[in-house]
Amino acid sequence: MTRDKIKSEIIRIFSEQFEIDNPGLDDDLRQVHEFDSIDAIELLREIEILLGSELTRAEKKNAMEIRTINQILDYIEGLAQSRAGGETKTRPA
Amino acid sequence: MNPYSKSEQHFFCRRLKPLLDLGATVGIWTYFTLGFVVLFSPLYLAAWITAENRELAFQRLNHKFYRGFFFVARIFIPGHRWQIPDDIRLIRSAVIVCNHLSYLDPLVLISVFERHKTIVKSSFFKVPIFGRMLLLSGYIPSASEGRLSAVMIENMETMKAYLASGGNLFIFPEGTRSRDGSIGSLNKGAFKIARLCRAPVVVLRIYNTDKLFEPGKYLFNACATETIRVEQLARIHPDYQSDTFAVSELMARVRSLLETPGEKTDGVKKS
Repeated sequence: MTRDKIKSEIIRIFSEQFEIDNPGLDDDLRQVHEFDSIDAIELLREIEILLGSELTRAEKKNAMEIRTINQILDYIEGLAQSRAGGETKTRPA
Repeated sequence: MNPYSKSEQHFFCRRLKPLLDLGATVGIWTYFTLGFVVLFSPLYLAAWITAENRELAFQRLNHKFYRGFFFVARIFIPGHRWQIPDDIRLIRSAVIVCNHLSYLDPLVLISVFERHKTIVKSSFFKVPIFGRMLLLSGYIPSASEGRLSAVMIENMETMKAYLASGGNLFIFPEGTRSRDGSIGSLNKGAFKIARLCRAPVVVLRIYNTDKLFEPGKYLFNACATETIRVEQLARIHPDYQSDTFAVSELMARVRSLLETPGEKTDGVKKS
């Protein structure tokens, strides 16, 4: 999955799930859009669907420090690469 | 349970209020501290060691402890009354949102709901023993930085099942106490959790806890004669699957309910 494809999916999720339209890629989501830890947990579920695999507790914990869309994209790319390398194979129920 | 006539109470309160307030406060705090250490800490310890579901056991003990707390308050503040209808005690599996008047509000709701969770200011989780009690009771930190992020993730992952099994999550979406009875701006957290868990939202209004323990004061009001009352304003079942569902609209509806003037009772503010 390309970064552009991930970006368009994330922008769609932000609009549909969190009522945040066209966020800046480097906006501090907490400060600018009141995106909080509950949203982050909901986003992680969407990321699991996007990747087709469950996230580990450690991967989820790392995500709680993310602040911007660009960081989300980096995070998902990192997860996709690690899964392509065969580190995690589980699919979500 | 009021051994004094109204005229006797009026006389005592007019002449001796500072002393009565101090006495009530000392009595209630004695229960809060000594009662916890002597009566309840052995029970918490036993629950910690033996309970299959430690979280539930701690919630039950918290519920009993605060029922005791308000029983003691009734002794030291004999003029006030309580009115909590059965339909409120029977609420299950809901995200409950409530107005916020006093530090007593969360204690009232813990004393009403045996199975409960709530959101607590993150800094309280750092307090020795008390912070550990909050964690063991399954309460949720208001922010999720650092080590509390794991607590938040775990709580959110299990919240849907917790609510489905009959537990309640109560939240004061204003986040802070109202000083004049008006409704402040609402935080989205409660409504987002309701959406995440596909749970109904119950809207409650609490009355007069600020008369018993006034914001900005250190002493209980031993001369309070108001009725502590909890009223159910609505049980909302949002259509979370609908394309038109929006958290902001749910919040606006709840806000409108909370802003609707309440029933007139003794000492109840009409907002």
